[in-house]
Amino acid sequence: MSSRSRRPLTPWMFLAPYGVAVLLLIALPALLNLGYAFTDHTGLTRDPRFTGLANLRRLVADDFFLDSLEASLFHVAVSVPLRLLAAVGLGLLLAAPRPGGRWFRVAVYLPTVIPDVALAVLFLWVLNPLYGPLNQLLGLVGHPGYTWLAEPTTARVGVVLMLLFPIGEGFLVVLAARRLLDGRLYEAAALEGCGPFGQLRRLTLPLLAPVLVLLAVRDTILTLQVNFVPAYVLTDGRPANATQYLPVYIFDHAFEFSGFAYGALLTIVLMVISAAVITVQLLAVRRWRVLR
Amino acid sequence: MSAHPGAIRLETLTKAYGSVTALHDVDLEVRAGELLTLVGPSGSGKSTILRLVAGLDRPDSGRILVDGTDVAQVPPHRRAVAMVFQDYALYPHLTVRGNLLFGLRVRRVPRAEADRRARAAAERLGIADLLDRYPDQMSGGQRQRVALARALVREPTVYLLDEPLASLDAQLRFATRADLLAVHRDLGTTMVHVTHDQAEAMTLGDRLAVLDAGRVRQVGPPQQVYDEPADLVVAGFLGSPPMNLVPGGGVLGEAPGLTLGVRPEDLALDPDGPIEATVEAVEALGSEAILLTRCPDGTRLAVRTGPRHGLRAGAGLRLRPDPHRLHRFDTETGQRRRRAEGVDE
Ligand SMILES: Nc1ncnc2c1ncn2[C@@H]1O[C@H](COP(=O)(O)OP(=O)(O)OP(=O)(O)O)[C@@H](O)[C@H]1O
Ligand SMILES: [Mg+2]
Repeated sequence: MSSRSRRPLTPWMFLAPYGVAVLLLIALPALLNLGYAFTDHTGLTRDPRFTGLANLRRLVADDFFLDSLEASLFHVAVSVPLRLLAAVGLGLLLAAPRPGGRWFRVAVYLPTVIPDVALAVLFLWVLNPLYGPLNQLLGLVGHPGYTWLAEPTTARVGVVLMLLFPIGEGFLVVLAARRLLDGRLYEAAALEGCGPFGQLRRLTLPLLAPVLVLLAVRDTILTLQVNFVPAYVLTDGRPANATQYLPVYIFDHAFEFSGFAYGALLTIVLMVISAAVITVQLLAVRRWRVLR
Repeated sequence: MSAHPGAIRLETLTKAYGSVTALHDVDLEVRAGELLTLVGPSGSGKSTILRLVAGLDRPDSGRILVDGTDVAQVPPHRRAVAMVFQDYALYPHLTVRGNLLFGLRVRRVPRAEADRRARAAAERLGIADLLDRYPDQMSGGQRQRVALARALVREPTVYLLDEPLASLDAQLRFATRADLLAVHRDLGTTMVHVTHDQAEAMTLGDRLAVLDAGRVRQVGPPQQVYDEPADLVVAGFLGSPPMNLVPGGGVLGEAPGLTLGVRPEDLALDPDGPIEATVEAVEALGSEAILLTRCPDGTRLAVRTGPRHGLRAGAGLRLRPDPHRLHRFDTETGQRRRRAEGVDE
């Protein structure tokens, strides 16, 4: 079309650095990854050979993979709702201008800017069965406490607890979205006899629904991946592989046990699982008519 | 016992937002079943009065009585008032039906009854075929009607209308004004109606209250307020163009310490008139014309006259003020001075 040929190139030039980076750092490796999944590539030898579905057959028979999958799904199922609840709850609570409110907002955001390795080291202390504050808190209510990182279930809970803190981004989005809602609507609702909970149920949540759906999808993707650091620092995948989450398992295979090829296949599986979980979420959103 | 509930009484109501005093010792009475119009310049406290009556804000001092009882402790939803906001405040995530049913659902009105009331209100305002639209799928005028219908559904004893017609074009405004009057006639419910619009102020209300800088300047039937403005502020606010105000000793005659006023329609073109003036501009309005004139001493006078006067900018003319329609105000206090002759008593 003639109008297209006349359009200036400038916007594309501005996009170019980003485009090149996406191509080189994401698209190309992703393609290579797809190819490696069907080879015996180890990352050390120079000559990957095509092995057809051998890796896939290995995957199907891999019991550790099933453990890892279960650990990941458990984590997502518990962590995403709790993280959303925390981000939305705190965002809504702290959205209203209150004296001192900004300090609370800073406090909620702060853990997000702490590097996750540092946060994990901090949680090694928090979860320490002898002198950790968490067990001491439990002691206050007469509970003997847990050997957090030594038991499969409590180790998983420990990781969930740690990842309950870096929720600053979701919190910020909720905060901003809530502040954009028209105060008049709340006054109109108050005139109709809508109390705080009625307003939450009939106004705030429906009006924020698009944002909440977005956050849920994003947090699912994120949560399937970010448990790598806590699992490495806190438990190294133990005990009994309870925290051998998919990213950890992928890393172990790619760089410690079997080489790139099997790791590549696992990566693809992780992507498929992310897509599946998100699809289920979006179907639920449509089924329950969360969005208009 | 009066036929309807809904009498409102404001007693020395004061409200400040930070350092801004929005209302200053406001005393105002709205009779049961009356349509009272509140007018005043922007920022004069009109919306604030409505918000206080609705219970959305609390007064700093003073009392609000509804049917004789102080409502200070009554929460908004128990006050039986419905408010139409200046900007509609429709729920964007709900259809028109959802908007109309919102309050009824909150109050757990039985479904059939709620549907009946919503439909009745929608039909009364001619939006029955829009029930499944969302607010962002409607024109301003349609949204306006939905906002009014939402107030009707409530079946309150008092309607508070904050410039409900402000964002409509002239035609729609005329039609909706008629609807509003019909609603008021049919229901006989108390209405307090805020407006900027001169025509609305004059035509819509049983009585008119003029507000300025947080004070009530005058209350009365619109024609009376127009004919006998209580002070300079009211005189300068009502009427379009407003009253010509000239300090004593000027073209309107000797009157030490007074300011004299004459409405544009009370200045007649008269070759033998006492005031000499030059036409500066002509505003032809179709059914009439406004001549903006200037006297030799620099005084500007607006004159309302017939449409086909044949005058142009630059033309000289002579004006005769109607001696019976001359207004006198104390220059110092701004208060109206009654005349001994008693012509404008
Ligand atoms: N929430 C608020 N915070 C601070 N000042 C306010 C607030 N609401 C109103 N005011 C001030 O109070 C005064 C009266 O406001 P109000 O809204 O009652 O005016 P109004 O007569 O309705 O004006 P308009 O015709 O422009 O709607 C104004 O000076 C306004 O700036
Ligand atoms: Mg207002």
